[in-house]
Amino acid sequence: MTDTAAEATREPGPGGASGASSTANSGGTGASSRGRTGRRDRPNRMSRKHREWLAAGLFLAPDGLGLLLFVAVPMVLSVVLSFFQVSGFGSYEFIGFGNYERMLNDPLFWQSMKTTGIYVVVLVPVLFVVSLGLGLLVKQKLPGMAVYRTVFFLPYVISLVVVGLLWQFMLDDQVGVVNKAFRAVGLKGESWLGDPSIALFSVIAIFIWVMMGYYMIIFLAGLQEIPQELYEAARIDGAGPWKQFRNITWPLLRPTSFFVLLMSTVAAITGGFELIYVLTQGGPANATSLAIFYIYQQAFVFGEYGYAAAMGTALVLVMIVCSLAIFKITKGGRFDDGE
Amino acid sequence: MLQHGIGTGPGCAPAASAGAGTQHAPARPSRRRVLGQAAAAGAAAVGAPALLTGCGTASAKDGPLKFWNFYAPQHSDDPSLNAQSKWFTDLVEKWNRTHEQQIELLYIPPKAYQTGSKLPTAFAAGAGPDIFLVSPGDFLRYYNGGILEELTPHMDSEAVKDYYPSQIASRMVDGKVYALPMEVEPLAVFYDIPTWEKKGLSEGDIPTSWDQLLDVGQKLATSSRAGLVTETAPGYLQNFLWYPWMWQGGGNVLDEHGKPNVDTKGVRQALKLWQDAVRTGITPRTPPAADDLLGAFKSGVAAMWVSGIWQVSSFKAFAPKHKYGVFKLPTPKGGRYVTALGGWSFCANKQGRNPKAAAEFCAWALGTMEDACIDRMTDWCIKAKSDIAPRKSVLKRGEQRGGYDSHIMRYFKDEVFPGGRAEPRYPPVIYKAMSDAIQGAMLAGRPVEGETARAQASVEAYVKSYKGASLV
Repeated sequence: MTDTAAEATREPGPGGASGASSTANSGGTGASSRGRTGRRDRPNRMSRKHREWLAAGLFLAPDGLGLLLFVAVPMVLSVVLSFFQVSGFGSYEFIGFGNYERMLNDPLFWQSMKTTGIYVVVLVPVLFVVSLGLGLLVKQKLPGMAVYRTVFFLPYVISLVVVGLLWQFMLDDQVGVVNKAFRAVGLKGESWLGDPSIALFSVIAIFIWVMMGYYMIIFLAGLQEIPQELYEAARIDGAGPWKQFRNITWPLLRPTSFFVLLMSTVAAITGGFELIYVLTQGGPANATSLAIFYIYQQAFVFGEYGYAAAMGTALVLVMIVCSLAIFKITKGGRFDDGE
Repeated sequence: MLQHGIGTGPGCAPAASAGAGTQHAPARPSRRRVLGQAAAAGAAAVGAPALLTGCGTASAKDGPLKFWNFYAPQHSDDPSLNAQSKWFTDLVEKWNRTHEQQIELLYIPPKAYQTGSKLPTAFAAGAGPDIFLVSPGDFLRYYNGGILEELTPHMDSEAVKDYYPSQIASRMVDGKVYALPMEVEPLAVFYDIPTWEKKGLSEGDIPTSWDQLLDVGQKLATSSRAGLVTETAPGYLQNFLWYPWMWQGGGNVLDEHGKPNVDTKGVRQALKLWQDAVRTGITPRTPPAADDLLGAFKSGVAAMWVSGIWQVSSFKAFAPKHKYGVFKLPTPKGGRYVTALGGWSFCANKQGRNPKAAAEFCAWALGTMEDACIDRMTDWCIKAKSDIAPRKSVLKRGEQRGGYDSHIMRYFKDEVFPGGRAEPRYPPVIYKAMSDAIQGAMLAGRPVEGETARAQASVEAYVKSYKGASLV
């Protein structure tokens, strides 16, 4: 008996039933034996394993097709485009690595990369800590906690353009509510979006305000996965809140932490465009000109599509390197081999 | 019966025959037939968008030309915006009544049109509009990209001469017209009379020099009120607002031969002026009242504001009783008065579906000596908007019709406009070099010498490899 035939006989699934039925229909004596022979005669009948593979493939096909058409193909085309000088009006001239050479010699590109670096280095850890803090806070079983969860999550569902406009009003130099509050307590107030030494940090603070609710929910899900018995046992053993956090929460939250770290890093490297566009237009004095904004500017304001594609490719490479580094350092979210 | 209607275009024919095939299908289809039909349906579903696109394009080619703009058709609470929209719709309706080639307006919100990616993306995709509005700052980009259709053959030669030379020159290449200005928008300083009066200032205190401007600004500025507002966000508008201060001291980005000329005294002192205005707290780092001059004056959070003639119609519509004044840009010691003249133009897409008709439309709308054309342009400049006319005959008719009778409009026509210079048509790289210099000096407080040296190097590198129409 072949494996295929054995499986078909054992399994009561729809395929098996169909096989049995077809054997029965063949009629005559020695149905079982002939049935087996019949199965051998039809080598194209798929095994359960193959059928499952086929089903999985069919289920994944729409997504795969979408990814291929709308992500993979544009990415490849973008890389191809980076080797051309493109006028934006239909003229393409192959220039090899010309755009990459230009990129290496463009001080504004390097400045935008540096700004992006600061943005990522400040944003990711602060967002991580704030979201984790909120996650721990809203996990408490206190009255009205659902309201707090909603309130913290609310900024995430608001359009970033609206968020930008809202904060623009609040951070207005003269009549913004933030400076008014500062003046009310005798402080001078600042030009939050107009001072190059502050503007980037204002944008980071706003981005944290927007995103903290989203990562809070992810942390909350991770926290709720941790068995309560562990905390009860720790309490019986006399562990205080800090010891419980260090020895139970933190280690068991590692996969969630890894996810948050990875996603927020990717979002920081490639995101933030909408806020910059609404709040500062990359100013003052290029202080908030993130790489993603500079790429946009080159493509859609200056019509340098080939050059923008080269910078886009470079940025994606940086993102891949950072993601791999996070994978390596955290060992894919396990943090150490022992766990 | 349906098939007859479907099968009119080559792209649609296969769909029709597929439909015919299903009509004769047997009542109980075999498994093979079902699978075959499923595969055909799948293929049709995948291919349908392409087929439909083909049909759409074919019919659109015969449809009206698209005129992208940021005025019409729209309905707004602002009566001046409604008047502008009506002017555009009337214009197109009149053309459509008398011409075979129809035109259709497509409204794009001003911010999306002027600073967004919609227009460049459309052109990059080969789907740009047939007729569109272009600013001087974008003129060379479109001309060098082979987008602009020549308008001269469709114009009266007298009409070309009727345009003020400063206005038409920046839209010409080798003596040929490629865009037709519809308006002239000079810059000046607006001031809020109630705030001035509160501070004991009067018309006699209107500054005529840069030093006086800073003095008056200092007197008017408080922690909750800006002394003098000007654009601080990087962009074409900021450069446009800054250029006249540079010109007043003899500075130029490029000299008359197109040679880079940034690292000069005139440029440095203009940068220093804006730097001092911010450093001393006269000019806020971000514009108050969400960059709305009218709102800022009405709420008393700004005392002076560098802006253009377009604000006059806003005051007329929303605050007709609010007392405000206008004065010419003050000049530096030893300098001479210059202001910048902005304004948009009509142009036709050479790569569009019917460039000849599109060019004809632009010339018919703004480039003939016919009475109707002059009337139409007068209506735009004095009824729909509050602008200076770009043509002598139109300005004259505007005067006859009382469009410049008000104190403010007369002042703009007689005092502000005559010292004007057209907005330059520098390509994006030059714009960016100057923008970075302005931002660096004004907001980062960096030494102006370093900023002009860096900008000079950028402009020189660009001009060396530049290929295209004259930059000046």
